[in-house]
Amino acid sequence: MTMRNFKLAGLVTVTAALLLAACASQMEPAQTAIAGIESAVSTASADAGKYVPDQLSAVQAKLNDLKAAFDKKDYKSVLANAPALLSDAQGLLGAAALKKEEVMKAMSVEWTSMAASLPQLVSAVKSRVDMLSKSHHAPAGVDLVAAKTGLADATAMWGKAQAAFSSGNVEEAVTAAREVKTKAEAAATALKMKLPGAAPAAG
Amino acid sequence: MDTKDQSTAGAANPYAQTHEVQKGDTLGKIAQKYYGDASLYMQIFEANKSQLKDPNKIFPGQKLVIP
Repeated sequence: MTMRNFKLAGLVTVTAALLLAACASQMEPAQTAIAGIESAVSTASADAGKYVPDQLSAVQAKLNDLKAAFDKKDYKSVLANAPALLSDAQGLLGAAALKKEEVMKAMSVEWTSMAASLPQLVSAVKSRVDMLSKSHHAPAGVDLVAAKTGLADATAMWGKAQAAFSSGNVEEAVTAAREVKTKAEAAATALKMKLPGAAPAAG
Repeated sequence: MDTKDQSTAGAANPYAQTHEVQKGDTLGKIAQKYYGDASLYMQIFEANKSQLKDPNKIFPGQKLVIP
């Protein structure tokens, strides 16, 4: 080996060592960056999954891309993309909170409306059930048994809805109230009653 | 008998069922239509006492609450 070749080999070795060192020095920050993003996603995932699922999915997809880059030892790319993704991940919590507030407002309005109308619906169905229970021959097509079952279910569910609302759980209250509406309307249909906005009952 | 189907108009409770009296209607016929039992006509009369004085006198155009 000539002196010139010896120097060249030395230069290559030093350069390679420097590159390896630089690469190794980027691995830890990249790992830390990913861990930070994972932590932010984890913190927000419950509410984000419920209120901004698309936004959460987008962040998770980008996180997966980042992890894939890390696995390929492309730490430079990880470090370049991590700050923006961390910002997106940290934004999930706020976005979910905003959406949740919006949903809660809408549910409060829905509750107010249903709290006024559902007792009237149930009352009308109960009135008809009481009358038909006195009849010797219910009209053709009327399913009194189904209506009675539906009415009982709706009444029980309405109690649950009111209890949930009283304890401050508007979401549960509205969910239960929607079920009351479905059951009471089904009972009304079984009695061939006409509901506002519905097509006339046959017969 | 020419009757209109029950509707929900004209009552405080928007879900309350009503029947618009047609020519030839009697409370018995209306009770038969909605309850399958003409003998329940007095229940309709009782529910409409604010506008009916006599169960045998109903007039076309009257909107009766059908409990």
